[in-house]
Amino acid sequence: MFVNLSKLDLKETCSSADKGAPKLCLRALPGEGAERSCAFDGARVVLMPITDAAHLVHSPIACAGNSWDNRGARSSGSQLFRRGFTTDLKEQDIIYGGEKKLFQAILEIAAKHRPQAIFVYSSCVAALIGDDLEKTCARAQEQLTIPVIPVNAPGFLGDKNIGNRIAGDVLANRVIGTKDPEAPKVPLSINLIGEYNIAGDLWGVLPDLQNLGIRLQSAITGDARFADVQSAHRASLNVLVCSKSLTNLVRTMERRWQIPYINASFYGIRDTSQALQDIAAALGDPALIERTKFYIKKREAVIRQAIAQYRERLEGKTAILFTGGVKTWSMVSTLAELGINILAGGTQNSTPEDFLRMKELMDPTAQIIEDTSSAGFLDIIATKKPDLIVAGGKTKYLAHKTRTPFLDINHGRKLPYAGYEGMITFAQAVDRTVFSPVWELLARPFPSLEATR
Amino acid sequence: MREERHYQGNPQKNSPALGATLAFLGINGLLALLHGSQGCSTFIRLQLSRHYKEPIPLNSTALQEDSAIFGGWDQLKKGIGKVMDKYQPQIVGVMSSGLTETFGDDMTSALASLHEERPELRSHPVVLVSAPDYIGSMQEGYQRTVLALLSTLLPAPTSDLDSSFAHDKSAVTGMKDAADPATPLIALFPGCHLSPSDIDELKDIMTLFGLHPVVLPDLATSLDGHLELEPAPVVQGGTTLEEISLLPQAVATFSFGLSMHKAGQYLQENYHVPHYNFPSLTGLSATDALIMTLAGLTKQPVPAKLSHQRSQLLDTLADYHDQLGGKQIALALETDLLYSLTTALIEVGAEVPVALAASANEIKNFPTGIPVQVGDLEELEELAGTTHLIIANSNGRQAAAALNRPHLRAGLPVFDRAGYPQKIWIGYRGTQNFIFDVLNTLAV
Repeated sequence: MFVNLSKLDLKETCSSADKGAPKLCLRALPGEGAERSCAFDGARVVLMPITDAAHLVHSPIACAGNSWDNRGARSSGSQLFRRGFTTDLKEQDIIYGGEKKLFQAILEIAAKHRPQAIFVYSSCVAALIGDDLEKTCARAQEQLTIPVIPVNAPGFLGDKNIGNRIAGDVLANRVIGTKDPEAPKVPLSINLIGEYNIAGDLWGVLPDLQNLGIRLQSAITGDARFADVQSAHRASLNVLVCSKSLTNLVRTMERRWQIPYINASFYGIRDTSQALQDIAAALGDPALIERTKFYIKKREAVIRQAIAQYRERLEGKTAILFTGGVKTWSMVSTLAELGINILAGGTQNSTPEDFLRMKELMDPTAQIIEDTSSAGFLDIIATKKPDLIVAGGKTKYLAHKTRTPFLDINHGRKLPYAGYEGMITFAQAVDRTVFSPVWELLARPFPSLEATR
Repeated sequence: MREERHYQGNPQKNSPALGATLAFLGINGLLALLHGSQGCSTFIRLQLSRHYKEPIPLNSTALQEDSAIFGGWDQLKKGIGKVMDKYQPQIVGVMSSGLTETFGDDMTSALASLHEERPELRSHPVVLVSAPDYIGSMQEGYQRTVLALLSTLLPAPTSDLDSSFAHDKSAVTGMKDAADPATPLIALFPGCHLSPSDIDELKDIMTLFGLHPVVLPDLATSLDGHLELEPAPVVQGGTTLEEISLLPQAVATFSFGLSMHKAGQYLQENYHVPHYNFPSLTGLSATDALIMTLAGLTKQPVPAKLSHQRSQLLDTLADYHDQLGGKQIALALETDLLYSLTTALIEVGAEVPVALAASANEIKNFPTGIPVQVGDLEELEELAGTTHLIIANSNGRQAAAALNRPHLRAGLPVFDRAGYPQKIWIGYRGTQNFIFDVLNTLAV
């Protein structure tokens, strides 16, 4: 399976036999109830935050119509990326092919919306009817002055992760290095890879980088202009922040542009400090390394003091963690920072490495959530009775029915949790939900409503 | 005329499969299974969940690459078998997706083959809906699903005798199996433009006339957002299969929204239940039409409560007529809601220079004088520049921001304002609410 994807470093991810590990190379079973989304979703998550590009989905209405502008990636400039564009394939297109329509759509969008680039996403139906995305994009680009970039990640190729990887390949092969290819490296500069500026996360990290004299060459792709990503090859270091799903991208960049990479997380005090130190060490500048040592101590003290009141109240509370990507493991230590114990953890969309790291960080007594369907999730809540559930928006309303405090840490959230400042915001948010007076109201006895219904 | 475009810009359409899911969510004990790739169901769950603030039980046959070559027929059989074994739903609702419609998977033969292999599964009904994307929007998928529920659960009687007997019995003895045998049963088919609270309001009105309403599908008890609901992978609340079996005994069917006309006709043609269609329930004329029909049907005077609500609405119209008169309002909505709100606004003196429908199917039935056409939210942005107010779903926020116009949320999804599934915009009281919402949004 995935024969045509073997070049995407998938084999290494298929080794884990652990129970509850994300089954990246096992196919999802029909009717199983897993909630793992598709390759198209994975590709759009990575590319759609590029703010001044148009993102055109070559598909029937279901792919874009149900999903456009639904992620919290934020922009300090152009809002073009938030627009939903789709060729809205109809019966006639399916019979006669959709290439002509796609070609026209690209030209029309370029004329009307003046994007800096157009990303064209394939879909299951477009792939099935055999539309040649590559050729159509190339033909359209001939008539335009901007890049028209095909993204060949139809949903049925597999999970979100596959789509992340395909998007990484697209960036490496079609975007990065296409501006000033021979320009020298920018000293003390980094790319943050996999940072999508959800709820403004990036803006919480930037001040600390600036204070240390580290230059952000580009975030891939949070609050990024197309030109920023084009010149990402000039960075001295790649920092991979959102799981390992873009590992293929940083490896390619290492081979092609000799940019070394490190993994990092900006969730929680400890991880943020570790990330800054690792960045400084990898950049190898002795003065920066020294600066960073002092800086993180100072910042940690300030932040620990700011969250002390929350930690005092939250110490000893229990949580269930259910998320994906880097948060799979970084939330373990972030919650520990507040004195919260994790009773059980699970993941659907992360890589096996992320899963293993979560397992390593959690208390050995913590349970791994094996059945990741809604039913399995509810079972765990019923048995563990946690004080807090930390998960993504998909499970939010299910969790509320169990009358348990809930914190959304995925793309639906409104608040930035990354970096030192994000830790304060996070602590406040946890405190707000755990100590909300409504949980007591919800638990009050009252005659059953059944009779009146 | 505007130039032809080859893309949807800021679509207001939702997929028909989303509409199908919505209809299935009004059936008690149902497990919905989308025959498609995993993303199809994930996007639908997210979209419905952020509108209703509710968990959305929806399963998937999780098609992958090999299905593109071999088709998804086997996966569908496995999927139906799996959900029946794992979750024991009372009924399974399956809808196709753009992907499986393109393969041409024959869902009927897949089900027949499954039943052949596992006869014990026959006792649980499976409703199959073809909901390819090209049929339109949410409304079309919802409409087809209601029809599929009816034709599967209440198949056309084999002889005329059976059906007339079923109806005669109800007319003479009232409802045999309902709690109160003296209360005649009325069948209600709400379109997807009605909120759970709208449906609650409808039920209350029926009760005031001494009728026992059976609603198909009943989102008022499944997606209304109440905490007594047990979290579960199948639909909690909603119309029970037993209630559906009683529909042929109804004294009448009321269908709401142009798109629901066919569903009402189905019961009339196959079970001789008289059918009345109400394209709108918002506005004085629309509500009067409902109330007068009910009074005629039940041969009862209009309940004092409703007369009083009507009088309150009239007073509101008098008090605010000047602020409504001449206001130019641009709307972009699914057709049934577009029809309801547009006619209600024109009735009170507002003007509707822009009326964009999500799909084409019912627009020929709009009253003359409404410039209705199919359009997306990019067109709304192009056309609404000189209007006073935009009415569209939350995705209309980009157009409203670009034009610096106030934006009243309506339709689906509404994710950035509180309480939309709980809004009542139908009936006398609901019309009054709607007019207040229009005025208050204009005032901001």
